[in-house]
Amino acid sequence: MSGHMASSSNGGSGSGDSGAPRRNSKRPKYSKFTQQELPACKPILTPKWVVSAFLIIAIVFIPIGIACLLGSRDVVEVVERYETRCIPPAYANNEVQYIQSSVDKTCNISMTIPKRMKKPIYVYYQLDNFYQNHRRYVKSRSDKQLKSLKNENDTSSCKPEHLATNGGAIVPCGLIAWSLFNDTYIFSRPNNQNNQSLTVNKKGIAWKSDKEKRFGKDVRPKNFQGGGLRGGGDLDATIPLSEQEDLMVWMRTAALPTFRKLYGKIEVDLEANETINVTLGNNYNTYSFNGKKKLVLSTTSWIGGRNDFLGIAYLTVGMICLALAIGFTVVYFVKPRRLGDPTFLSWNRGPGSH
Amino acid sequence: MLELVADMMENDLILIGATAVEDKLQKGVPQCIDKLAQAGLKIWVLTGDKMETAINIGFSCSLLRQGMKQICITVMNSDAVAQESKQAVKENISMQITNASQMVKLEKDPHAAFALIIDGKTLSYALEDDMKHQFLALAVVCASVICCRVSPKQKALVTRLVKEGTGKTTLAIGDGANDVGMIQEADIGVGISGVEGMQAVMASDFSISQFRFLERLLVVHGHWCYKRIAQMICYFFYKNIAFGLTLFYFEAFTAFSGQSVYNDWYMLLFNVILTSLPVISLGVFEQDVSSEVCLQFPALYQQGPKNLFFDWYRILGWMGNGLYTSLVIFILNIMIFYNQAFRAEGQTADMAAMGATMFSCIITAVNCQIALTMSHFTWIQHLFVWGSVTTWYLFLLLFGMLPPYYSEDAHKILVEALGPAPIYWCTILLVTVACNLPYLAHISFQRCFNPMDHHIIQEIKYYKKDVEDQHMWRRERSKARQETKIGFTARVDAKIRQLKGKLQRRSSTLILPNCMPSPCQ
Repeated sequence: MSGHMASSSNGGSGSGDSGAPRRNSKRPKYSKFTQQELPACKPILTPKWVVSAFLIIAIVFIPIGIACLLGSRDVVEVVERYETRCIPPAYANNEVQYIQSSVDKTCNISMTIPKRMKKPIYVYYQLDNFYQNHRRYVKSRSDKQLKSLKNENDTSSCKPEHLATNGGAIVPCGLIAWSLFNDTYIFSRPNNQNNQSLTVNKKGIAWKSDKEKRFGKDVRPKNFQGGGLRGGGDLDATIPLSEQEDLMVWMRTAALPTFRKLYGKIEVDLEANETINVTLGNNYNTYSFNGKKKLVLSTTSWIGGRNDFLGIAYLTVGMICLALAIGFTVVYFVKPRRLGDPTFLSWNRGPGSH
Repeated sequence: MLELVADMMENDLILIGATAVEDKLQKGVPQCIDKLAQAGLKIWVLTGDKMETAINIGFSCSLLRQGMKQICITVMNSDAVAQESKQAVKENISMQITNASQMVKLEKDPHAAFALIIDGKTLSYALEDDMKHQFLALAVVCASVICCRVSPKQKALVTRLVKEGTGKTTLAIGDGANDVGMIQEADIGVGISGVEGMQAVMASDFSISQFRFLERLLVVHGHWCYKRIAQMICYFFYKNIAFGLTLFYFEAFTAFSGQSVYNDWYMLLFNVILTSLPVISLGVFEQDVSSEVCLQFPALYQQGPKNLFFDWYRILGWMGNGLYTSLVIFILNIMIFYNQAFRAEGQTADMAAMGATMFSCIITAVNCQIALTMSHFTWIQHLFVWGSVTTWYLFLLLFGMLPPYYSEDAHKILVEALGPAPIYWCTILLVTVACNLPYLAHISFQRCFNPMDHHIIQEIKYYKKDVEDQHMWRRERSKARQETKIGFTARVDAKIRQLKGKLQRRSSTLILPNCMPSPCQ
């Protein structure tokens, strides 16, 4: 009908103005981040990548393994166990009594050098069955006291080795310092005409950061081993802690119950088949807990001391990767699967597959 | 009287035309229902409208179609029901259900589809405890179920019946206050915000603004979310097992005194900053296939309901991987740092050095593992994964620079002890590769011999075969759906079958050989 005007209101509030600038839409602003359309790389494992990955690992690892093995084989190491040998026959069944008595504990052993050892030769003492990693042992120290003289009485974390019998604080306190290793070694070369004695350099065996930052220059030992029970060696009360390198080395608690710690360095070469005499002071009590004591002379290479494991592990992994690379190459040739082949889709493969 | 007057007046009228009111479905609803049916979902309609309206709506969104056998379960007499005939009514309904079930069972044609239509009054009897299982058994074999004249309480009851009776995951979607009961009862409740107010939205787990967005919600985001969560959980177990078990192994070497090989700060930061960000980026951004592919291949959705990514095999596999990683890290580190010097200057490793090395190995190995797991690398993933490893070294450096009161044995450990030692870097490289080798071999093998659907599609996309061979791509897309009897593609398929059947019947009744069969109209 002509009088029938088109209604001005459109049906429903859903349809807004058509094309008008004011849209009144609640649609959130589009951004690639919220719509999860960020540009991305989507690598997939094609046979090329698989074989190349294994081959590259093999190519890198096998030479590294050989280098590590050669580096380890370069190291010459001599180990001598002495705690059973150094008990005089009179005390054969009373080792603990022997070690705790004040009898002279000097012992002489000899070591034969298998191959020429180039300087510097490192001297270690090795302890077995000694749990420096026990929780109560590791806690028992006071870093504040070690660092500065004004913290001398900060010994609460060091119990039970914190106070001497005379009531004063023990410096350095704690079980770690108390159990300081105190065997001594004097080396000599009886068959060498030029020089009979071998000096052991005891400087430079601790970490530099220990000497400069952790052990104070103004702190001197006080009341050491004064707690009634002796646990190890003595410390010179006139030398500040920052120069007591044996203590610093000992206080770096080892991770395993079998460990070595650096005793000193020998700065001359030793020849093959040479005999070295060691006059050692068998002072440290490992007999109470069936611990073993060993003396070690060792050179080092770029990889450190003698341990073939790293080289062998690298070679093993490298060989496994090489075998996998060859295996996958064979498989890809024998039974190739065309990439992107839609016959492998589950709806094409028939029932019972996903 | 009025009727007599009307009879007299309403004579010799000319019919001008007819008007009708169409309560339109929202835009995109038939397509959405079609896509969800192809994804393998079963769809029921619970509405408060009367039966004719509901049936018409069913036809317009292809839940019902010509050729579907409609099973109507109704109460026979709508008069006021006397008390003693309530039992008779119930028996009547029970008989109808039994007959219908029998009919369905005896049907031989595999493409036959049944639709169940039931109204609210009947439902109130059918939902009683003695009949509901029978009713559910019939409803489950029908292709679509339409319940009309349902009250809000009955909507909730029907949802509960399906949820508990079938044990499957249910999703309820509605837009009005009368849908709130159903939305809250279902496992997943979706509310549509719009014309009828916000009550449904406030009661729901997810709210969308139009029904057609449900398609994207399920087929794209549901699919991605399932995979992301499954991978995240498995990886979390893996990395914490790999880390925690090394602590336990170390106890065997400390006389079980409880000393940890790592500094407390390392352990604190492990789950906070050093390994958490990559997992979060995996859980938020990971996509196995893009959203267009998810929509084009509804069959990929079935990877979720079939639980292909979170079955026991996968969970135990990841835990085993964690166990293996922890063993490798621990044993390799112990054997490499055994008791000899670890540097050319003769120093031996203490517990701080061994702990820092072991921890560096864990961080590197675990982060490389997640890089192997991810398939979608945006700049965020790269930043988090490689950034986590870098953060660890930065932390070690900065922590070492703190005065020894705070850092104790870790003071200057990277700069002075470990950094210059080649054995440290060699160990990290070896341990990382050794830890990731089995996983790499496993996924290479799986991709080669037993690829899953999304692997194939990723390869097709990577080599751009969808662009080169469009015919193959279209064909696979059309095949990538579940067998379904509802939705307009099913209607199209049924029509095609019907026409084919007519064609075959016509050609079989033809006697004269030189006459072409007439084409179907």
